[in-house]
Amino acid sequence: MLSYSRSFEKFLFSNVEKSLPFSIAYSTEVKKEVKEEFRVLNLKNVKRQTQPKRAQKQLEALPPRTNKMPVDQDWGSVWPGPRSFHPASVPLPVRQGYVEKGVAPDKYANAELIKIPNFLHLTPPVIKRQCEALKKFCTPWPKALENDKECEKHFPIEVTSSDYCHSAPTIRNPLARIVTIKFKLSSLNLNERAKDKFLRLVGERYNKETDTVAIVTDRCPLKKQNYDYAMYLLTACYHESWNVEPWEELKSEADMEYYDWSKNASKKSVEALFGKQTEDIPNVKEYSEAVSTLMNEGESEYSVTKYGDSVRKLLGLPDAPKT
Amino acid sequence: MNIIRKVTLEGVNTRSSITRTIHLYAPCCKNQAGRYRITPRKDLPLTYEMANPPHQIAHRKAWNSWNTSNIDGGIRPAQTAIEDVFIRKFVTGTWHNLFVSEVIIKRQHNIIRIAGIIRRGIGARKMYFLIGYTEELLSFWLQCPIKLELQTVADKRDVVFKYI
Repeated sequence: MLSYSRSFEKFLFSNVEKSLPFSIAYSTEVKKEVKEEFRVLNLKNVKRQTQPKRAQKQLEALPPRTNKMPVDQDWGSVWPGPRSFHPASVPLPVRQGYVEKGVAPDKYANAELIKIPNFLHLTPPVIKRQCEALKKFCTPWPKALENDKECEKHFPIEVTSSDYCHSAPTIRNPLARIVTIKFKLSSLNLNERAKDKFLRLVGERYNKETDTVAIVTDRCPLKKQNYDYAMYLLTACYHESWNVEPWEELKSEADMEYYDWSKNASKKSVEALFGKQTEDIPNVKEYSEAVSTLMNEGESEYSVTKYGDSVRKLLGLPDAPKT
Repeated sequence: MNIIRKVTLEGVNTRSSITRTIHLYAPCCKNQAGRYRITPRKDLPLTYEMANPPHQIAHRKAWNSWNTSNIDGGIRPAQTAIEDVFIRKFVTGTWHNLFVSEVIIKRQHNIIRIAGIIRRGIGARKMYFLIGYTEELLSFWLQCPIKLELQTVADKRDVVFKYI
């Protein structure tokens, strides 16, 4: 407590010292005022007569130019580009907003109209004019590519990639790197064995219903790199499927994943039965197909009946009696 | 639903026990943001934006920020939000006491359009200066073109929608 009071005294003293010149100045001011009027001690802090508020300076603005617009004006030059709505430039009595009772707020000082995106710069005549201007940069469509079939024939590979437009200062989007190439398997020059190998290499990328192969690449950071990689994959798969490895020759009948009539005992026995080559035997094609279906797809009423019919045909027997 | 729970720390003697009460009143769950109270004299001016509470967005009023950051697969959502706050602070400070509506920020590609309604409190020359100043500084900071699209009103009462 003692120390506190001491310091307080010290503080007071230093304050007095400092404020001394100011107090002198103050006293002179008082003398000046005394000549005019006594100062009133305003203890209760009663407000004096309040001064009238200074009126805000009203700045003149030109009347809206919609008043002066002719009816047949060229709207494209009034509103040349995308812009927020401005009531003084749009000569339309538009309203926006919800009022429970009464009419919606009009276009003047209406923030809702500024917020919503407008297409006042894309009126049909302006679009027409822009298309006319762009026409000279266009080339005619090649005559050889009249229909989709021709296009598919000359350009068998379909490349799909996406570009993204964002409202951001960057034009990059990681999803833009993904490239998909699609082509029909029939457009490739492959034989039976190579086709089988190609399908094994491609796996689930092949769609059996549409006969298309779709390769999606997204492992590289750029679109160009992914496109190149997809093309590399296609080339590599194609050449690899034509390639016959030494161990592929070792494939025996037991390794076959489907029944091939021409490599099986059935063909040999038929040849032995007729004493001719397979090509010379009549109705053998139907028989071979029936046997293949029976072996590949399993026994069903249809396949068994078909097998019986084909055997009768092959051996020249009369048709089975209808039940 | 008046629930007041007393949480007493055990192991401390009762005289110096620390008590904390958790209030779970129904009024505590009340939404208050963006809503205005009715004044006794019914003289609080509200603009259309203020008159409609936040749950009316996309029904009676639109958003104040238009961008593609928050859509599915949008990029830079956090940066966009921070930039918008910065733009709002800068614009309201630069156009001191002049904006009578909210600052509307619309982004198209790399352009940022800042729109709003201002009071004709300063002269046209000062206004042109401030437009250039705002555009120049913001485009320097945000590194993209900025466009200021303003409307002027003679008096701030022009934007008042209703008094409550």
